[in-house]
Amino acid sequence: MAANKSKKKMMTMRTRRSLEGVMFISPWIIGAALFFIFPLVISIRLSFSNLVSVAGFQMEFIGIDNYKYLIQTSTTYVPNFLAEVKDTAINTPITLVFSLIIAMLINKDIKGRGFFRTAFFLPVLLGTGYVMQQLLENGMSNVVSVPDSILMAIGPTFSTIVSDFLIRITEVLWKSGVQIILFLAGLQGISGSLYEASRVDGATEWENFWKITLPLISPIILLNFIYTMIDSFTDSGNQIISDIEHCFENGALARGAAMGWLYFAFTFIVCLLALFIMSRLTFNQGER
Amino acid sequence: MEKAVKRSKAAAKPRRVGSRFNKKNTKKFIIAIFVYLVLFDLAFVFLYPFITMIIDALKSEADLLNVTVKWIPSELRWDNFKTAFEGLNYLTYFKNSVLVTLISTIGHTFVCAFIGYGFARYKFPGRGVLFAGVILTMLVPTQVLIFPMYITFSNWGWLETYLPLLVPCFFGFGLRGGFYVFLFRQFFMGLPYEMEEAARIDGCGPLKTFLKIMLPMSRSSLLVCCVLSIVWHWNDYFEPSIYLNQSPSLALLPSKLPAMYAALNQVASEAEDISVSGDVIINQAVCMASTFLVILPILIAYMFVQKQFMEGVERSGLTGM
Repeated sequence: MAANKSKKKMMTMRTRRSLEGVMFISPWIIGAALFFIFPLVISIRLSFSNLVSVAGFQMEFIGIDNYKYLIQTSTTYVPNFLAEVKDTAINTPITLVFSLIIAMLINKDIKGRGFFRTAFFLPVLLGTGYVMQQLLENGMSNVVSVPDSILMAIGPTFSTIVSDFLIRITEVLWKSGVQIILFLAGLQGISGSLYEASRVDGATEWENFWKITLPLISPIILLNFIYTMIDSFTDSGNQIISDIEHCFENGALARGAAMGWLYFAFTFIVCLLALFIMSRLTFNQGER
Repeated sequence: MEKAVKRSKAAAKPRRVGSRFNKKNTKKFIIAIFVYLVLFDLAFVFLYPFITMIIDALKSEADLLNVTVKWIPSELRWDNFKTAFEGLNYLTYFKNSVLVTLISTIGHTFVCAFIGYGFARYKFPGRGVLFAGVILTMLVPTQVLIFPMYITFSNWGWLETYLPLLVPCFFGFGLRGGFYVFLFRQFFMGLPYEMEEAARIDGCGPLKTFLKIMLPMSRSSLLVCCVLSIVWHWNDYFEPSIYLNQSPSLALLPSKLPAMYAALNQVASEAEDISVSGDVIINQAVCMASTFLVILPILIAYMFVQKQFMEGVERSGLTGM
């Protein structure tokens, strides 16, 4: 009895920490059981089945036929898939660099800060709704355009490259409001005394950026990286996502689910890899 | 007293102006001008959709048809806003939207901070798998899970109420719930560990440590979560349109916009005035005015929070202490 008690006490330190951790996560675990796991399982099962009737969700297991169709028969799925991956690979780094630069500029003690901070967030206010999509469809991404005379001078091939680039930048900028505000919050958290101390020691702004700012906001860089990637992968203007929606609207639930899960499996692996690699590189004060 | 301070400042000024012309200050001045130029340029790109929206909202039918009228309408049609206000049934739906947005934002902010703290600071078996689960919830769009969700909620008798929109927020789910968990995890990871350790040695329990020490230190991340949650909940129209399909009295403010735009797009080429289910006559200008009215409350809210956000935190940075 006594031995049992002392053993219990020895275990407590570690077990208690674990239990405390589980306590903090418990709302999420309950939520997953209530709102996530059932729909997830149904949706994955659906992708391997043939829907007999929509009313009671009667399914008939058909193996990987839905997936086979997508890869072997469908002419649009694989090209769209690759196009989305390429788009994300290009847009993510551009978004991160631009939003970090903008956040650093408006974190400075400048006049009209409030105005700029509101301006840079406006596309987010508009963007999650219906409006931005409408604006993009109406060809409004030509906001930053080069005068025609210059385009003529540099020739047609080069000018399409330039204007494509500008359109991409504009779209990227419009989508970077969330990243800017996250970086801003991260920059706000850095203690001013650090910069003061390094200035006294004779460090330049450039050194400060690499030695203080970047390491201290690295958790936020990771956050923004994953967010930007997921935002790009699941954007409603994305061809794959709109194809899936189209399938659902037409009642082809099983095919839509298969399209979705092949895509999510890939993006999930990419995100986890990115998370794993980047957590090695980030500087975490809390991790012991 | 104040006057005296001002006068002494004014007296101090000329000296500073005189010394401005040395080399270092000139360099600073040029950099400042460059920064403002870049900022104004960028601000224009960001403001462009907003400005077009307001200008379009004020145009008359003739101006809408006329391609040469882009920036300056020949007359300002303030009536468009009145039509939009009536067409949206603004006051009724405004109350619904405020209720739903406030409750779900409170849920998201506190519960996700709680969960994120657990992921950031505690090591326990299965943490990695659970966190991968959080990433998965961010990744799978609502559209894919909506059919099974609908069945679940209808079994529970939750359809045609706000429960499917509100309750998941209190468990770290709901609209982009996973993202907030991730956000808090990252912000907590950046905070120094010493204070919690000190608190624990002094016998402070985990809950108390979280509430009394961690939450007050994470003011900026709480505010960011609040802002984003307010904006996304306010603008969301997909889930409400599914779960509140049969009860118009519960509808939320943005729910009428897609119908308006759809009707507009059908006859877009003709640019005629059309009416949506006999409510009001709409055209492009009225659509833009409606959109403006829908986002106006969150714009005002953001302007207030933005100020908050930048003031208190200025000198109290903790990262890197």
